This record gives sequence, C-alpha cells and structure tokens, in this order.
Amino acid sequence: MTATLVLPLAIAWFSAVGLVAFDGRRAWVGWTAVGALGATFAAVARLAVSVWTDGPMASVTGGWPEGVGITLRADALSAVFALLTAGVLLVSLLHEVLAGVRSRAFPAVVLFMTVGLTGLFLTGDIFNFYVFFEIAMISAYVVTGYGGEPRQLSAAFVFAVVNLLGSFIFLIAIAATYHVTGTLEMSGVAERMATVEPDTVVLIAITVFVALGVKLGLFPFHFWLPVVYASVTPAVAAILSGALANIGTYGVLRFGADLFPRELELGARALIVLGTITILYGALQAMSRRTAPEVIAYSSIGQVGYVLIALAIGGPVGYTAAVLYSLLNALNKALLFLAAGLRGRLVGAAFFVGAMSVAGIPPAAGFFGKLEVFQAAIEEGSAVLVGLVLLGGALSVVYLLQIYQHDFWRPAGRGIAAPQSPAVLRGIALAVAALVLALGLWPEPLLAASREAAEVLVRESR
Amino acid sequence: MTLLFAAVVASLFGSGTFLVLKTDLLRVVVGMVLISHAANLTLMASGLTRGEAPIYPLPDDAVSDPLVQAMTLTALVIGFGVTALLLGLAYRVYTTHFAVDFDRLAEEEARREAELEREEVSV
Repeated sequence: MTATLVLPLAIAWFSAVGLVAFDGRRAWVGWTAVGALGATFAAVARLAVSVWTDGPMASVTGGWPEGVGITLRADALSAVFALLTAGVLLVSLLHEVLAGVRSRAFPAVVLFMTVGLTGLFLTGDIFNFYVFFEIAMISAYVVTGYGGEPRQLSAAFVFAVVNLLGSFIFLIAIAATYHVTGTLEMSGVAERMATVEPDTVVLIAITVFVALGVKLGLFPFHFWLPVVYASVTPAVAAILSGALANIGTYGVLRFGADLFPRELELGARALIVLGTITILYGALQAMSRRTAPEVIAYSSIGQVGYVLIALAIGGPVGYTAAVLYSLLNALNKALLFLAAGLRGRLVGAAFFVGAMSVAGIPPAAGFFGKLEVFQAAIEEGSAVLVGLVLLGGALSVVYLLQIYQHDFWRPAGRGIAAPQSPAVLRGIALAVAALVLALGLWPEPLLAASREAAEVLVRESR
Repeated sequence: MTLLFAAVVASLFGSGTFLVLKTDLLRVVVGMVLISHAANLTLMASGLTRGEAPIYPLPDDAVSDPLVQAMTLTALVIGFGVTALLLGLAYRVYTTHFAVDFDRLAEEEARREAELEREEVSV
C-alpha cells in the first residue's frame, strides 16, 4: 500500500535528479524524460484504480507512529487531480520534445514539477503541502523563462515575484494554523479548528484564500496572469494553465471544504460575488483581445469564477460541480493553448472542440461541467446565478469564435499564411481534442469520479 | 516576547512590501528576501516555548518545540534557493534588456508591441 502511494513520487524524483545533469536538448534525454513521466502517469493511474476499488489509503513516512510523522494519503479527490495533472504534463512534455527542446534543463524541470504537484495532491500534512507547492512553483518559475526571449524573461520575473508573495502569505497562514491548533496534519487541523475562537479562524481562512487566489488568478489577484500566459511558449502555457493552476483549485477545495467548512459557509456570499466579478471580468476582457494566447489567458481567469461559485454553493451538488469543472477546465485550457500554437490541417478542428468545450456545448465534455454548475445554481434557488452561468457561457462562445474566425478562417489570416506544423504535433492536439469529445460522449466515469471526490469533502466537513 | 516578534515581523513585512513596489529589479529581490524572513520569523513565533533543546528529552524536563525550528529551517532553505533563482532571473533580464528597471522594461515592451501591430496591419 505504501509502495503504491510512494511509487509515482519516487519515479519522478529519481529520474528528475538523474536527468538534470544531462543536456535536455539531446533527443535521448528528452525521450527518457517522456518515458519517466509516462511511468509516473502509469503509477498515478494504478494508485487511482486502487483508491477507486479499495477506498482511500494513508501511510506515515519514515516508519514514525501516526500523528508524529508526515502523512501521505490518497482519496478520490487527490487521485483525480493527480491523474489529470500527470496527464497534462505528459502531453505537454511530449509536445515539446517532438517540437525540439530549446533549453538544457527543460525535461528535468518538468519532472521536478511533476514531483511537486503529485506530492501536493498526496500529502496529508499542511507544511508538507507548502514544501511540495514550492517545488512545483520553483519549477514553474524556471519553465516560464523557457525560450529565453526578453518578454518571457520579464514575464518569468513578474510571475516569480507575485507568486512568491502568495507562497509566503501561505507560509504565514500555516504558522498561524500551527499556533492555534498545535498540529500540521490536515485531519487533526480540521478537528481542532472547531474548538478555536472563530475570529482567529476567519483570519487564517482569509489568508489561505488570498494565497491560493494568487495562484488561481482570481479577480483581484489576477494581474500577473495574462502577461505570463501570453508570453510563454504554447507547451509552457498548457503546463501552467492545465497542471499548475490545479494547485489553486485543489487547494481551495481541500482547505475550504475540508479544513475551514464553517468559514466557507460564512464567506459563501463573498465568494459568490468574487466569482461573479471574475466570470464577467474575464469574459469581457477576453472579448476585447485579439491574439489567441491573450484571449485564452483571460478566459482562464473567467472560468475559475464558476469553480468559486460552485464551491460557495457547497453540498454534494456544489462540490461535485466544482471538482468536475476544475478538471474539465484544466483539460480545455491545455487543449486550447496547444492547438492555438499550431497551424495546418485539422488544427482548427482541435481548437474548435476546445472552444465548444469551454462554452459548454455538447458533445464536448465542457457541457457536463456547465450542466453541473447549472444544477448547483438551481439547487441554490437563485435565478441570478443561473442567468450568470448562461451569460458567461454565451460570452465565451463569442470570444472564442472571434479568435477561431480570426486565426483559422480569414484567407489572409496568419492561419493559412503560416507554414504547417509537423504532423505529430497536430496529432497530439487532435488526440487531446478526441479525449475531450470522448469524455463528452461517455461522461459516466468522470462524473462518478467527481461525485466520489465531492463525497470525500462532504463526509469530512461534517 | 510575542509582541516583540509581531513588531519585528510587521516591520520586516512592511519594508519588504515597500521595496517590492519599487521599479528596480534588485530592490524587488531584496524586498522578497525581507518578506520571506518575515514569514520565517512568524513560523518561529508560532511555537515559542521555553525549555531544553530536545536532543535527549527526559520525561520531567520541559523541552522547547523542535517542530517550528525544523519548519523554519526548511523554509529558510527554500527562501535561499528562491532568492538565488530570482537573482539569476534578474541577471538574465539585465543581459537581454540592458536594464534592471521596470519602467524601462515596460517602455521596451511597448515599443515591441507597436512594431508587432504595424506588422499585422501591413499583412
């Protein structure tokens, strides 16, 4: 059992440490990294299967007794997030290796990021969460500068400074949590928070929310996001929006619903207001931009708003919607960024599938994400929220089709004039698009997994 | 003691924020260092206990809390690595832009954008 839990981390970590010594521009290094990441993905999948069949598992590292050592644990929530993240990282790395790696550290750094992200989903200890979070973030700072063009470098600097500020605020929140509860274990913290003076807990909850909001690019903390997403290379943008942003959504779900359920209820109205502003702001800004990366970047700001609203509604329906929407959003954004960077036959089709998925039009998988949010909004009995979700979807159709038309339709557009991208790269984008379609046509496994993940949160917040 | 820690943390965080808001990249890096130390001190302050060093604790002795020290040590190392990375990034920005000032970087960026736009119009 311990082996199943530790295996993905071990594979990614040892291969990253080994590969960092070699020049990543050589083909064999890149392919070794792809192989290692593939093995990590397989190990995560095995973990997810055993969580699915045998229920959650936990193990204390270093042979310490429970309550002393650091706990690693996997439940349905962490398993689905880990699986999706490893998948997105694998696809992005494969894309970059096929396109030709341009800097020596890239493959190893992506593996380090895999360690950080997988560890973050699997840990049951809040300080350990911070450590894995930093491993993932530091890799992200390096990856953002990948390409070495001037604007990528200054984007990396801005990204690093803003997100470091978020990380340190998170660290302060951990210190405060330890001070009032005397423990770092998530389950222990959740238990003891009930006995702590409410005012203090509210402050800590707000601090955690601000720190995670910076990662997520929520409305008041979004300012760094468009610059960064629009400057980096397509594969890096796919990594940042499809894998790294999961820290934010997973963190908000885990900390909000699991550790601070009372504060989440208290702040539900504020979250709904923030979510609403985020949706509208993201959509309106996206409509006014002309280049695909910028539009998708603002769209990713907007999409987080739905997760926030679903989280605020809460309960089994709300949490299911939040989990499902975050997973689908990560997949959509990875697809859109990868497809937007390519040119040639059938790329337009892949982009179109992604656009339909963001807008929530069947048979793309995004339809079910929107449907769940609709259900949650109806459950809440608020006509305004239902209208807002509809409006957000309509706006996303407008801005994505604008870009589709501009880039892929105009006879003089860059789409036709530019040379064709290699067929393998287009194949990858098409494969992701096919996955999005397949999940839309056969959504039962994903829906069941999201329900199971929401179940974890509902059970523990009682 | 807690009050003293709070005052020091507040002034560190405040000065750090002030520096981060400057336009000079190096000042921003120093500001981040100050803020990281504010976070480290908060970690230390979260478990202030008096007692023996817990190397070989006897049942009757009061021991100081080792966990916060372990956490601070970890956070210090992370902060150190991050500072090195930030300095490296600032240096790369300097070698490509020949400037370490955000205003001048922004100017250059605006110039580039304008060029791109002209190209697009001509297409």
